[in-house]
Amino acid sequence: MSNEVESVQVSDVTEVNQLSSSTAVESHAGSCDDEMPLQLLNEAVRSMPNHVVKALLSIGVCSRCVLRIFGTEDRIYCHPLLSQSMLRSILEEVAGFKSEGNFQICSICLGILQFCYCDDKETMVKMESPNDMALIIAQLVKKEGHQIDGFSLEVSVPQLILENESSLLSGMKMRYESEPWFQERLLSKCVSVKDVLKFAITKPLETLLDVKSSTAGCFRIRLTYTHKRASDNSVERNQGFKRRKIGKENGLHNVNDEPVITNKVCSDYSTDETICVTGRSSNLLQDQEPSEQLTVPIDKVSEPCQLVYLCYRTHIYLCGRYLKFSRNVSQTRWIIDEERMGEASVEEIIGSNILPMCQGDNYKFHAAGREDIDVRMLGSGRPFLLEIQNARQVPSEETVNEIESKINGLENKLVGVKNLKVVGSQGWTLMREGEAEKQKQYCALVWISRPLEDEDVQSISLVNDMKILQKTPIRVLHRRSPLEREKIIHWMKIERIAGSSQYFLLHLCTQAGTYIKEFVHGDLGRTQPSIGSILGCRAEILRLDVTDVKMDSF
Amino acid sequence: MSDIMVDQTHKPEETAVPNNLLQHQRQQSVRENAEYEDEELHKLLVPDITLLPLTPPSAVESNFASYFAPDFMKSGNDQYVYRHANGLCVVGLASTHSAFKDKGGVSAVDFNVGKSDRSGMKVTGKRKKNAQHFESNTALCKVCTNDDLYIVRCCVKGSLLEVNERLIKQPELLKSSADREGYIAIIMPKPADWLKAKASLLSLEDFKKLRALC
Repeated sequence: MSNEVESVQVSDVTEVNQLSSSTAVESHAGSCDDEMPLQLLNEAVRSMPNHVVKALLSIGVCSRCVLRIFGTEDRIYCHPLLSQSMLRSILEEVAGFKSEGNFQICSICLGILQFCYCDDKETMVKMESPNDMALIIAQLVKKEGHQIDGFSLEVSVPQLILENESSLLSGMKMRYESEPWFQERLLSKCVSVKDVLKFAITKPLETLLDVKSSTAGCFRIRLTYTHKRASDNSVERNQGFKRRKIGKENGLHNVNDEPVITNKVCSDYSTDETICVTGRSSNLLQDQEPSEQLTVPIDKVSEPCQLVYLCYRTHIYLCGRYLKFSRNVSQTRWIIDEERMGEASVEEIIGSNILPMCQGDNYKFHAAGREDIDVRMLGSGRPFLLEIQNARQVPSEETVNEIESKINGLENKLVGVKNLKVVGSQGWTLMREGEAEKQKQYCALVWISRPLEDEDVQSISLVNDMKILQKTPIRVLHRRSPLEREKIIHWMKIERIAGSSQYFLLHLCTQAGTYIKEFVHGDLGRTQPSIGSILGCRAEILRLDVTDVKMDSF
Repeated sequence: MSDIMVDQTHKPEETAVPNNLLQHQRQQSVRENAEYEDEELHKLLVPDITLLPLTPPSAVESNFASYFAPDFMKSGNDQYVYRHANGLCVVGLASTHSAFKDKGGVSAVDFNVGKSDRSGMKVTGKRKKNAQHFESNTALCKVCTNDDLYIVRCCVKGSLLEVNERLIKQPELLKSSADREGYIAIIMPKPADWLKAKASLLSLEDFKKLRALC
């Protein structure tokens, strides 16, 4: 087989490569023949124009970059058995190039494809094979305790690399445009640094983690490379923390109520520095005569990139309905002047019980509407969505049921939970869908200034989709726009209370957004009509309970 | 539970019976569950009548702190300022105001006090844009009775958020419920301005003593 290859002309090389690559694919994964990769590599190298390889090596391009620029099929140079040094020596042998002794950072990929980088302790790390990097990642995943069934790998590299590569390709075009091999081999076939790295790491990672990779994974593994030279402030940015922005109002908080800072470094920022030009500027391509030397205006770097490994799971959601039995519990954490209002909050009771079961970083609570601190939420409960960030494990149905029982079994019986379950990102749409058309049902304890008559009970029960006009209640006027809002009272029913002529229970069903308290006492006449005006007397509300939030999807 | 034994040789109609019965029983238990839940809910809703006061505090009493300005800028000009916990102040005429002593009651309320018509302004948005800033002695409106004309003032320095335009069409509201539907205006003072104003206002207790009310 190898004899045949050696005698083939250069022009037939691509065909041969395709042939050998198809067989190589079969034998690539778990090849028991260690000779194969080496053989394929030799074939690939010999197919490249030697003088070009020599020129590239002399300006400090690393072996894998040389091979990827030529778009070598099947990326054989990523094979774990082919070490850096092996690649190098084969290239040098074929090209007739003798390099200086010490290891040099590649001028194009800045060491990324040499598996060389600075870790977070600023120590330079150099690995022989992509398996080593995969091993570090796998260890990180295990250390964090992530339970996963797939992953997606993301890589971000400094802009500088793309600029260097672009300069190199322009320079090569300028120099070698006229040569016969140029059309076939160059420019269109160049494989990007990101793709090479991802390709190299994905297979060993799949093996180590025992799961498959996909592009749309819920578990993200992110490799972020940054380089000091790319920006003066890059050190600060690498080491600094960035507060993750989520949603509109609420900030993040974890179980210990600390503001959460995530170690997420920004990727692919553009650089402002000017690249030192040695020789002609790469912009002046067209009109220049091809020179003898390959001139590429980039400087060699002395330090590799800094690499940050990050692995996290995208948000998971739990949905359900909550009940609030206490008149001293707010829906969300409510703190005024460092003092907590109410004795607890629904958000914290639910969140603090669910977060540890998911082993997440922090949670965020969203509910379909809200009720005042002194209003109970009874009956079917109010739909809510709990967002868990970076959960280490997704709770099973059994675990979720356990959590529900636990919350419902808490001694102080402040809050209850129903229909708790894990839901996908469609949870959002479900919440938003039901919101606009929501009708809510209430039960109010009402007192009027005269005894209740049968006619009153009758006239109230006759109400059907009655329109009312509510000016912004005084109690919220300080923070809401002064508007007049039209709302609908769908139906009402009076339930007499034994032993009292002036107290009664008012059951009513209204449009979402109606202020019930103001509808009862009239808010100094700013809600028209009100119970008082309908019954022709003074009406006061003592207690309010929400008895139903109608939403089908939850 | 059904005691019917199903024999394979029976015709289909006969073997369908136990299925229906089971379903019916299931539906019944669902209904019973729902009824049970409703009952549980109902128990939570019905109050213990023995714990309820004969006359509960009014909405104003529960949510506002009442202050009074006796003889504000003129003898007999008793006004109230109800301050909500959120800082907003509702101002109006106290029951001891001279206007209520006149025979025939209040005939008209006019918010046009020379410089501008207070009922014409439009305050918008959360930041309360276009709200006019008034001093405590700025005139809010004129109250006319058969005999006399009274000027009602802010009593508190702040932004005017709203005037009670219902008084224009229904001036009798002042007589019937000056302390509720007959309020004059809503003012938003800055915290510092409120503290200054508060210093010269009386609490309900002290006002009652002053006017020798029961």
